Amino acid sequence: MKIRDRSTIPFHIIKGVLLTFLSIVCVLPFIVIVSGSLTDNLIILKEGFSLFPREVTLSAYRTIFRSPDGIIQAYKMNFYYTFMGTALGLLIITLTAYVISRKDFKYRNHVAFLIYFTTIFGGGLIPWYMMYANVLNLRGTTLAIWFPALMTPFLVILMRTFITGSVPDAVVESAKIDGAGHWIIFWRIVLPVLGPGLATVGLFQALGYWNDWYRSSMFSTSSETWSLQFYLYDMVNSTMAMRQMAQNVSLNTTDLPTQTVKLAMAVVATGPVLLFYPFVQRYFVSGITIGAVKG
Amino acid sequence: MTASAEQRRLITEKAGPEKRSVFWVLLLCAAAAAALLLPVFPWIRICGADALYETMKLGASVVKKLQDSYSVFSFLSFVQISKQGVLGFWAFLLLLVAAAAAFLLLFSAAVFLRNGRATAGRPMLQTCAFLQKGLFLAFAAAAGTAGLCLYANRHYGITGFVPGFAVYGMLAASACGYLLSKRIEKRERKLCREHGFLEEFRRNWILFLFLVPCFVFFLINNYLPMTGIYFAFTQFNFRDHLFASPFVGFKNFEFLVRSEILHLTQNTILYNVVFIVVGNVLQILFAILISHVTRKRLRKLSQTMIFMPYFVSYVILRVLVFNMFEYEVGLVNNFVVSLGMERIDFYNSPSYWPWLITMFYLWKNIGYGMVVYLATITGISTEYYEAAQIDGANIYQQIRYITVPLLKPTFIILLLYALGGIMKGQFELFYQLVGNNGTLFNATDIFDTYVYRITTTQPLSMGMGTAAGLFQSLFGFIVIFVTNLCIKRRNPEYALF
Repeated sequence: MKIRDRSTIPFHIIKGVLLTFLSIVCVLPFIVIVSGSLTDNLIILKEGFSLFPREVTLSAYRTIFRSPDGIIQAYKMNFYYTFMGTALGLLIITLTAYVISRKDFKYRNHVAFLIYFTTIFGGGLIPWYMMYANVLNLRGTTLAIWFPALMTPFLVILMRTFITGSVPDAVVESAKIDGAGHWIIFWRIVLPVLGPGLATVGLFQALGYWNDWYRSSMFSTSSETWSLQFYLYDMVNSTMAMRQMAQNVSLNTTDLPTQTVKLAMAVVATGPVLLFYPFVQRYFVSGITIGAVKG
Repeated sequence: MTASAEQRRLITEKAGPEKRSVFWVLLLCAAAAAALLLPVFPWIRICGADALYETMKLGASVVKKLQDSYSVFSFLSFVQISKQGVLGFWAFLLLLVAAAAAFLLLFSAAVFLRNGRATAGRPMLQTCAFLQKGLFLAFAAAAGTAGLCLYANRHYGITGFVPGFAVYGMLAASACGYLLSKRIEKRERKLCREHGFLEEFRRNWILFLFLVPCFVFFLINNYLPMTGIYFAFTQFNFRDHLFASPFVGFKNFEFLVRSEILHLTQNTILYNVVFIVVGNVLQILFAILISHVTRKRLRKLSQTMIFMPYFVSYVILRVLVFNMFEYEVGLVNNFVVSLGMERIDFYNSPSYWPWLITMFYLWKNIGYGMVVYLATITGISTEYYEAAQIDGANIYQQIRYITVPLLKPTFIILLLYALGGIMKGQFELFYQLVGNNGTLFNATDIFDTYVYRITTTQPLSMGMGTAAGLFQSLFGFIVIFVTNLCIKRRNPEYALF
């Protein structure tokens, strides 16, 4: 606020302190991961983790890329899932959102409710799993991994909010008077001005696909189709299990992936997201407005 | 709303004179359909019982418990007693359809009475809409029953099941009623200048085309699996596989109620309430604070930093939490030791985990909600604040009397969406932080982790897993439905649907 009188000073102090605190808390764990991945494993075993590495070493990254086949395959699959899911999903989300945003469509609220209803009632996990695994027989295929997340009701409603916000009714009406049908209106009028909406929804979608491990854990039958996060998950888990076994039967644990290697894997797996983040964050940060189900 | 008297007269002349008798016949058909749904009428009769029971290899003690005829609602008891799981899925679907038909017929009667028994105009259209759906489902139930008899006879190789007279009665009554109500509807539509589905389809067929992928997706991913709630009433075994495992009624639920349901419900709801309350308070607080940062770059920077955890996957969160709270090399324990205290064994002490889980939930989600609220705050016209300043309101008063009240609609929308998922836990968060660590289950097990464990490790308890899922779903559904209804009563503007 421009006018600053003395009574606002405590407010600004509190504001500064709280925001600084939260910002640091939010970023701190990233520093822990990155610095851990750059520390030597022996130092960690001797002295434990610390916030900043005393000596920087790339040995953990070297270990990962000594036999890179597994991780490169997982990376490839992850890009494939993310691309398929985001491209196709974005298209059908936008089409659906366009339909339920049209005031002259009689059943728009029915359709919106049918979509929303899936979030409040469902058969549960087991029937859902049976549908893909036993009825459609999709276990082990890549389709089972990218198909089930193509649309989320939340993103459809978010997209509708973007459409109603960025395309005034008057524009659509005048286009109709000029003889444009819904096909033309959608591709020539709505899509070109929908940039921020497409970016935001597309990013949510891509983020969901990039970070997915769940569907790989459900439907994968071989490590060929694992997504990157599930690859990481499997590695973390197997090392935990192996370490426990090693304690009992006194195996040699020096060949197991060490703490630092796990952290380095985490950095590698998050890498693209954090690299893109500075460029895309303005879409998220510029605001997300969520409307009701009924339009 | 309605056409003027003169217009109405003109249109009526065009549409032909109204026939009172059509309405009475419709009423008769609807009443007949509703009556035939009563469980006293035989829908499925069993003929040639001895031969049939021999094919089914039933003992005399079982045969004694069976009846000669069943209604659509009681046929599942036959399935259960005679242990004929093959008929279960079909019978279950028929029961659901018949129940829905009965509900819709009653509901349309209620709508009819509430509309002052109007037989024309928009009120009649409203009644017709429900009536038609009810009659359609009633017809489907009757046709399905006939189909079930055919299927069962072919399965056993002898004619043992025969559709009762109620089935034929229902087919006639519902078909007749449906056609009559269509006829009335068509006429009333003309009078009210409304159009029906076909006309809408002709005008906007391209919009329906746009919706095709959406329908296919939700059908496969959500609506067809809903029929799978049938598994909640079966005892899965590998010999009979999915659709032929024996039907056991509410046994799975009884077992759940006795063992798990209480603490699962308690955990799930408690965690979610804490997440919703604390989450929203902090999100609003920080949204307000950040909106008062005047330097633009500082504001962008802190916004960027606070939103960052939202982008981290839960697997990485697992690695992170493990590295922080591990017993020997964990960051926190290092710190604790350097302060000269004892190490804390986090992974074996359940009491810490509710706090840790809440903390990491907030860590991941504050940024997201904050941005949603911030969008609303930036949308508030600065004129309000300027006027308030002229009136001498200080910064606290401005927040208290302008910002907070204007955040209310956003808050209610977010709250309603959150309540819709109150029985759904943050599965990934819980599973990745706790995993299969049995010592922590008491404090951290929620419905989703429980069902996931059953799906992946104990296929034989599948019935129970589905039962838990169904309970979770129904409970959440009722919560959101009632809440939305209450809000709709008080302030329709804020209602979600």
